[in-house]
Formats: sequence, C-alpha cells, structure tokens
Amino acid sequence: MSPSEPDGWGGLPGEPIMWILIASELLVFGAGLAAFLGARALDPETFAAGAASLDRTAGALNTLVLVTSGFCAAVALRRAEAGRVGGTRLWLGGSVALGAAFLLIKAREYAAKAAAGIGIETDAFFTLYYLLTGFHALHVVAGMIILALVAIRPVPANVETGAQFWHMVDLVWVLLFPVVYLLA
Amino acid sequence: MRSDADLVRALAALIALGLATTAIAGLTGTIPGPVAATALLALAGLKAEIILARYLDLAAAPIWLRGFRAALVVLLAVLLVLALIPRFA
Repeated sequence: MSPSEPDGWGGLPGEPIMWILIASELLVFGAGLAAFLGARALDPETFAAGAASLDRTAGALNTLVLVTSGFCAAVALRRAEAGRVGGTRLWLGGSVALGAAFLLIKAREYAAKAAAGIGIETDAFFTLYYLLTGFHALHVVAGMIILALVAIRPVPANVETGAQFWHMVDLVWVLLFPVVYLLA
Repeated sequence: MRSDADLVRALAALIALGLATTAIAGLTGTIPGPVAATALLALAGLKAEIILARYLDLAAAPIWLRGFRAALVVLLAVLLVLALIPRFA
C-alpha cells in the first residue's frame, strides 16, 4: 500500500502527526509574522529602514533554492514509491544540498549585517528579523538532518515523513520572505 | 511510478510566482502601497497553495486542502490588515 493512500483520515496523505506539526508551525510562524507587522505599525520608520537594508536578491534566491529543494524531496518520494533506492537517495541528496545552499546564502546575509554592526539588539526590526529567520533556519538544519537520516534506509513511509517536514520549511519561507523582506 | 510532470509544472509555477513577486517588489515605489501589499501576500498565498496541493499532495484530499486554504486566507487577511495599518494610522 502506498504511503500516500488514505487510511481513515479522510484521504489525508502521509502521517497525520506531521500534518499536526505543519498546522502548528504555520500557527507559530503566522503569529510571529503578525507580531512583526504589529510592531511595524508602532514604528513604521524603523521597519521601513530595516527592510530597505535587507538583501532582497538573497531572499529571492533563497526562495528559488527552497522551492527547488522541495521539488527534489517530492521527486524522491516518487522514486521511493517505485522502489528505486538509488534514485531516492539521489533526489534526497539534492534536497539536502539545496538546503545547505540556503543556509550558506543566509549566513552571508548575517555576516554582512554583522560587518555593518547590525545585530539582534539593534532595533525592533532586527530583533524580529533575526528571531524569525533564525528560527526558520534552525528548521532548515533539522530538515536536512531528517532527510539525511531518511536516506540511510529510504523506505516510502520514512521518505514521505521526511519530505513532509521539508515541505513545511518551504511553506513557512514563502510566507516569511514577502512579509519580512518586501512589505516595507 | 507516478509521473513527475505534475511536480515539474508545480515547480515552474512556483518559479513564475517568484518572478512576479520580484517584479511587484521592484514596483513598490510606483504602484500604490496597499495594491503592492495585497499583490505580494496574494502571490505568497498562491505559492503556499501549490506547495500544499502538489508537493504535500493535499490535492488528493480536497476537503483537507479546502481547510488549509481557508486557514491560509484568514492568516493572509490578518497580515494584510496589519500591513496596511501604518498607511492609515
């Protein structure tokens, strides 16, 4: 039986507990983004200046990187369902590699800010910027570890669970990027 | 084996929406702020929908997809209202 076939949860694909995690993460990050915009309403000048100083190109590039890594994870699941172990590991490896690329781009952003003397305590904008993007980056690290572990024994159920976590990371970023980087 | 074609289409759509996002962000000094904010959040919502429906395969469970879509709409509406506050304060 394919791991994506329904099992009494109204056709919900994958592990129900992962969907609970996805929903809770969307709530947590959603609340964080709402808090970000609420703080912006109290100090629009600081937030406009902060957003203007962010590297939008890096953010846009990271969006491309993450959606492509999500594609790799989704294809990996297809390979796992087909029993193609080598292909599964290849596509999982692609996801992990792109996750590393995301973190590298993010690290360069952070380094540039540090070189300019900007840190988490600089002002309200950067406090929330580092909290939101840093918390998201930790999820990227966790997702990479999960995908790497799944690749050791890539049975379809494990790959599906790992991919679900990775798609959650992707999902959060496509909401976070425009709010933090673009809504100046 | 399930075809990868739908996933390729999903990725292409995500990239196209990303390019549209970049274009709108580049026009924020030209188009009205509320229009830009609405467009940016709408594009974010569309990207999220594609990830839910195609990457997470929620298209196979329409009731659940509708539920997550409704939750996304509520979240994005709240974010839009908050984003517009400085303009109307």
